[in-house]
Order: sequence, then C-alpha cells, then structure tokens
Amino acid sequence: MSEALVAAEAAGAGVEPVPGASGARQFWRRLRTQRAALVAAAVVALLVLVALAAPLLTAVEGQDPTTYHPSLVDSARGGVPIGSFGGIGGDHWLGVEPQTGRDLFARLVYGARVSLGVALGATAVQVLIGVVVGVTSALGNRWVDQLLSRATDIIVAMPLMIMALALLAIVPSSFPRPVLVALIIGFVAWGTIAKIARAQTLTLKELDYVAAARLSGWSTWRIARRELLPGLAAPVITYAALMVPANIAIEAALSFLGVGVKPPTPSWGQMLTSANVWYQAAPQYLLLPAGALFVTVLALTVLGDGVRTALDPRAASRLRVGTGGKREAKAAAEKEVES
Amino acid sequence: MRQPSVRARRVAAASVGLVLAVGAAACGPKDNDAKGSGGDSTPHKGGTLTVLNAGVGPTENFDPARLYTSGGGNVPSLVFRTLTTRNRENGAAGAKVVPDLATDTGRPDKDATVWTYTLKKGLKYEDGTAITSADIKYGIERSFAPELSGGAPYLRDWLVGAADYQGPYKDKKGLSAIETPDARTIVFHLNKPEGEFPYLATQTQFAPVPKSKDTGTKYAEHPVSSGPYKVVRNENNGEHIVLERNTYWSTATDAERKAYPDKVDVKSGLDSSVINQRLSASQGADATAVTVDTNLGPAELAKVTGDKQLASRVGTGHFGYTNYIAFNPTVKPFNNVKVRQAISYAVDRSSVINAAGGSALAEAATTYLPNQKSFGYTPYDLFPAGKTGNAAKAKELLKEAGYPNGLTVTLTHSNAKNFETSPEIATALQDALKQAGITVKLQGLEDNDYSDKIHNVKTEPGFFLAHWGADWPSGGPFLAPIFDGRQIVKDGANFNTGLLNDKSVNAEIDAINKLTDLDAAAKRWGALDKKIGEQALTVPLFHPVYKRLVGKDIRNVVISDWTGVLDISQVAVK
Repeated sequence: MSEALVAAEAAGAGVEPVPGASGARQFWRRLRTQRAALVAAAVVALLVLVALAAPLLTAVEGQDPTTYHPSLVDSARGGVPIGSFGGIGGDHWLGVEPQTGRDLFARLVYGARVSLGVALGATAVQVLIGVVVGVTSALGNRWVDQLLSRATDIIVAMPLMIMALALLAIVPSSFPRPVLVALIIGFVAWGTIAKIARAQTLTLKELDYVAAARLSGWSTWRIARRELLPGLAAPVITYAALMVPANIAIEAALSFLGVGVKPPTPSWGQMLTSANVWYQAAPQYLLLPAGALFVTVLALTVLGDGVRTALDPRAASRLRVGTGGKREAKAAAEKEVES
Repeated sequence: MRQPSVRARRVAAASVGLVLAVGAAACGPKDNDAKGSGGDSTPHKGGTLTVLNAGVGPTENFDPARLYTSGGGNVPSLVFRTLTTRNRENGAAGAKVVPDLATDTGRPDKDATVWTYTLKKGLKYEDGTAITSADIKYGIERSFAPELSGGAPYLRDWLVGAADYQGPYKDKKGLSAIETPDARTIVFHLNKPEGEFPYLATQTQFAPVPKSKDTGTKYAEHPVSSGPYKVVRNENNGEHIVLERNTYWSTATDAERKAYPDKVDVKSGLDSSVINQRLSASQGADATAVTVDTNLGPAELAKVTGDKQLASRVGTGHFGYTNYIAFNPTVKPFNNVKVRQAISYAVDRSSVINAAGGSALAEAATTYLPNQKSFGYTPYDLFPAGKTGNAAKAKELLKEAGYPNGLTVTLTHSNAKNFETSPEIATALQDALKQAGITVKLQGLEDNDYSDKIHNVKTEPGFFLAHWGADWPSGGPFLAPIFDGRQIVKDGANFNTGLLNDKSVNAEIDAINKLTDLDAAAKRWGALDKKIGEQALTVPLFHPVYKRLVGKDIRNVVISDWTGVLDISQVAVK
C-alpha cells in the first residue's frame, strides 16, 4: 500500500496542469485501455450499487440484518448454524450467523454500506482538510507556511490507529457512530494529501498563467479557486483513489478492535471480529466478510492505480494513447510519403 | 473488593468435569479408542501434571495472605492447608465444607459469635517442623498488613476489633479476637453471629505461616508448604510455578487431597485459544495437561462436539453464578415496578443463552440464586417469560404503567468479549424487547469504565447487564452484598445496585446468619431470594456452565459444584 502511495505522490507531483474538458476526455481514453482498471471499476460500481440497494436486495430475499432466528442454530453445539455450509438455502442465501441466526446476506450487504460509506466519507474529509491546509500553506507567508507545515508533519508522524482509538474512546456513544468513525479517520490521516497539495501549489504558482492572473489584480482566493485548484485535481484524485481502500481497511481494523460502529449495525470489520473464532466450526462465516473486504480493497487499489496511470503523462506515453491515435496516424502517413 | 474475587473464582472454578468423562470413556464402548495410555482407568501415583493457564491470577502473589480464593483455590490448595476445606467430590456433595487441618468444621457457641477449632495431631511443614495454632493466628494477622492486601474483606468485617488492625509488622500485640490457649487450639471471637464461619475458614488466609520463616512481601516466592507439594520454582511472580512432593505431608492427616502426580508444572499467561488447541492436540507433555482457568468457547465447543475422541475429554462443571439484568430504581422509568416487570416478561432467554454460547454453556435462570442445593435454590418464575418471551403480557403492563405506545430505554453493557455482560448479550436482549414495543439503545462502555460506573451510586445507570458469583456456595455471600440495605456504599464500590433497603429483608439476613445448621440456613436463603424477587429489581438471565478439555492421559477428574472446575488435587496422570 505505502509503496503505491509514494508512487502516486511522485507521479502526482510531476503532473502537468490538465486543461478542463479535453483533459477529462483524454483521461477516459487512457483509462479505457487498461483492462484491469476497467474490471476493477465495474466491480467497484457493482459494490456501490449493492450497498445502495441493500434494503431492496434484502427485501427480495425476505430477510433483514438484525432479526434473530434462534431455531436456525444448534444451541447444544455452541450455536453453530444448522444445515450444510452454514445454513445456506432459499431463505438464507449465504447462511446464518452462528449463535444468533441472523441472515448473513443481509448483514453483508448492509455491512457494505458502512464499510464503503465510512471509507468514502473519510476520504472526503481527508481531501478537504488536506487541500485547504496544503494550499493555504503554499500561498501564505513564511509564518503561516511554517506553522501549517509543522502541523502536517505532526499529523503524518502520529500513529493513526492509536490516535483513532483514543478519540473514539472519549466521544459519547450517543454520537452517530459511522459518521464519527469517518470523521476521525479523516481528521487523523490528512497529512500526506496536504503535503502533495502544498508541493503542487508551490510549482503552479510560479507558472506564467498564475503570474498573469496575479498581475491582473485577482485576489488570492480567486487565483486559488480559478487557477490553482484545477491544476491540483490530478494528483489529489490519484491519491484519493488510493486512500479509499486504505480507509476501508482502517474502518475494518477499528471495528475489529471493538471501537468502530456499534452493534447491531453490521460492518465487515465487525463481522470479522465475531467470526475469527469460528474459522474451524463455521468457515463460511469468516470467509464472507474476509472475501468481501479482499475483493473491495483489491478492486479499489487496481482502480486507483489505473487512475494514476491515466493521469500521468509519462505513463500515458508508454501506453501509446492519449493522442487519439493521431500521432501514430501522422507517423504512418509520413512514412508513406517518404516511401 | 469482591469484584476481583468473583473473576478469580470463576477462573478457578471451571476445570473439574473432565476426569469423569475420561474415566467413562475408558469403560465405554469397545470402538472407543480414547482411553489414553491403557485400558486401566484406576489412578496411580507418579508422573508430571502440566497446568496451562491464561491468566496469572490463580498463582500471582502466591502468598496465602494475598490470594483471593473460594474454598482455598485450586493450585494454592496443593501447597496451603487451611482449618477447613471443600469436600473433594463430584457435584453437590462437593459443595460441602469439611475439616482440613482441624478435627471438625468448628464448634460455635450458642449464638455463633465464638468459634473454636482443634488441630489434628502430627501436622508438619515441608521442613518437618510442627504446625501450631499460633502459626494459623499469625497467618491471619499478616493478611491485615497493607503490603499484603488482596484477600477477601470478611476477616476485617467479622473479627472483634479488627477494623483498623494494620498487621503484625506494625502492631506486635496482634489480634486479641484470636486466642490460642494451647498449640492445638484456636478460638475466634466475632462481632456478630456468623453461622457460615466454617466456609470462610477454607480461604488461604487460614493457612499456617511460621513466624520465623516470614519474609514479608518476599514470602510469595517460597511460601512454606503445609500441603502435599512444595514450591521448588517460582518465576515472574507466579507465571511459572513448579511444585514437587512435600515428603512431610501425609494422607493420615489429609483425607481430601489425593496428590497422585509427583510433580506439578504450572504455566500461566498463555493465550486461551492456544491452551485449548494444545489440550485438544495432546502432544507430548500436553497429554497430561489440564487448565484451571480456560473454558471452551462456543466455536471451540462446536468443533469439539463434532469429534468423538475430543468430546470424551470434555468435563462439565457448574459454579454458583448468575448473569442478570440489573435495574436502578431511582432512574426513570425503572422507578415504576410495572416497567421492570414488563421487561422481565419480555426477555427471550433462548436467544440470550445462544449469545452466551448455547444451551451447553448456559442454563436459563429465573431465580437470582444459582440453581444449586447448597445455595438453598428454591425454584420460582415470578414473571414467566417462557423460552422466548411473553410480549403480550409485557405490552399490557407497559400500558398500565402509562406507556401504551411502548418506550425507549438505554441498556448499559461492557465492550469486553466475555459472553457475560458483552455486546452479544445486549444485542440479543435488544432484539427480544423489540417484540414488546420496547426500543433498546445500547451503551457499550470500556470494561473498567463499565465496572466503575455500575458500582458507584452517583453514576449507576438505570438498566444494565450484571453478574455475581459467591465467595462460597451459600446464599449468604450471594444475597447479602446485593440486597442488604446496610451494605449500600455512598462513596466507593457499591454492590447493592438495586439500592434496596428493606427492613424485613435486613432482619431476615441477620436471622439466617445466626443459624449454624447450614442446611436450615440454605432453605431460608432460598425463601428470601423469592421474596426479594417479587420486587423485580433484577431479571435473572442464565447460569453459566463450564466446559473444559483435559489432555488425553488425564484420569480421575472430579468436578464439584463449589468450584465448577476440575480439582487438581484429585487428578492423576498415570
């Protein structure tokens, strides 16, 4: 993970400002040629769709994620699900949870809402804080820059999990838990994105078109908004795409440690916690959330990698795309003329 | 003070049932190949017994003054003999108190305020010197020293003039409440009648300590043995203890301990899943291993019951323990008895039991007292919820209480994964109460925070999960701390969480404490339990059942209802 992030940072910092509409089209053309990224994008889209449609899907199945079915587990054997493969059948598509008999399909799809929702929310918070701090730092005077840069260093240096654990422990439990988890992950892990935003802004602000804007008397705020932010988009999007899977993993770890979302709200991390003792007696119980996490994190990472490649002009030239084939066509035409 | 003891005891309690099962396996069907090292199931002397423990608790601070035990503990009882001890028998017979160093369980005066004991003849320490009544007095006195704290609070509460005693190091005169008229006689003077004094005399504070060998806080490293084994190695404050035979101990003066193995090797601080994995594999030295503190969890049980050979090595024990919902009647809406009754009717004990590990690990409870004879168990079900809850009756009561559209309450629980007061139990209750129109919000607290909050009258929540285990198998230590109005503690650890201060209940507790006929006392505790139950201050949920594995060559497993776990003093490895 961290290597990919470093790569993204390096790539992002070197990205030339991409002009608006044609840039997006170019990006899409470059992304389209990477088959792995496309498959990953499809998987991610499917997961988002499943998460959004969770109430609908469970209604089709006829179940919900919190109702207990004591008759579906063998109480005398520690509550292991009755039936083969954890009680899989027409009523319970993925079987039931040991001890409670709650429907695992319903818990898995509702768990996707929490896992994806928290990860996306946390990423949004990270991007927001990171960009604001980074740009302010780069545009401000020496003191502002010093102050914000040191603050960023502190955030980067702080052990994320320990900070999150401490913060989660002191907030009253009446606060909506998924929102809290997203906010806390966002607040403790924006350092790297702030550094990227600052470095990129420093590069951009020396460029002629920014100087021109300044000379024509634009306010700093207007320059930041109109001239700098579009230039920041590429590195920030690249980095954010890789932050999402990292945030999913953090949410899972926090729920695994018992400080994430609270029962009976299902989340994949929480399912993993309760399932990890059942790996021998009811393996499917562990495999479902583990598999879901694996697929999601892998898909998002591959997609993030694809986005990085598509935004990186050097990588794009290796892909031999991004010019709409015009260069090749021109070269071929020239060759023809020569012969 | 009693809270840690409850945990320690629970730990101590769980390992006894296995030996029985193993013995049975040996004489079972012919196709059963689980009989261990031979067809002969009679226990023999010799060999090394390995003990694998998760917590260091049972052997930490291995000083008789500092250990908090029930009936003298399991490993401690191999080294420390006490005036009385628990009967080493299976089931209910094992919940009786029997003489150990003394010739009987104690001779009370008319109102049970003076207790006299006579020591057996020929009692010796590991160095061959004689055990005297003065040594027992000294052992008790040193448990009052602040640097040797850790024991139960009873001695300080019960002995005349002991409330402010600071131990023999500071106060050379000693405790005048204990007299030793000669080397074999010891007399205790109590400040109120205590018919259950013989139970208290099983605790390690009643073990003899020779004054000349006392090394203060260092005594734990090598306490002088009066039992069948002596400490030959003690590393990291009890993390690894090795015991070998005390040649001066004799079965002639000890009818309780069998002491079959030549050596006992106690290793603590292991991961509980590792312990169960090692016991089920039973490789090498683990074939003669047991645990005194690690139960099988639900998932492990599911695996073990699917394997005949493993299932035959599981011991089952019952320890007097109750898991329940507690109400604080000073918090709305729980001040209304009808709301408390409605919740009593609405609980679904079958889903709670599943959350606690299923019917093999928990039995439904409708009484506050454990379902054992020695506690005076008197069956009653005042608010019958059936197996899955009576939602109709609960709704009716809520309507009468002024909540025709249901109500929303907050249930406080611990975040610890202990299957007792854990999120799993709370969530099962949340689902069950939904049927009765009661919306339950969960408030999970970090375990220490939870414990502090529920035991402080200022912070006690209105509706929370709780549990209680007794210091000995009787109604006294079960009911008095929880329901005696005079034991409400304003600032400090309070266990009377229902804040009950009922004159008739207090008077009955005093009256029963006067009884020295323990069977008669048990009946009265049972009746009192039912009477208190009418106030619906608690909703009993379940009594836990302990399932534990033993190594494949372990024999003679004895599990009493006193501890609920295998008794190490009875185990043989050959």
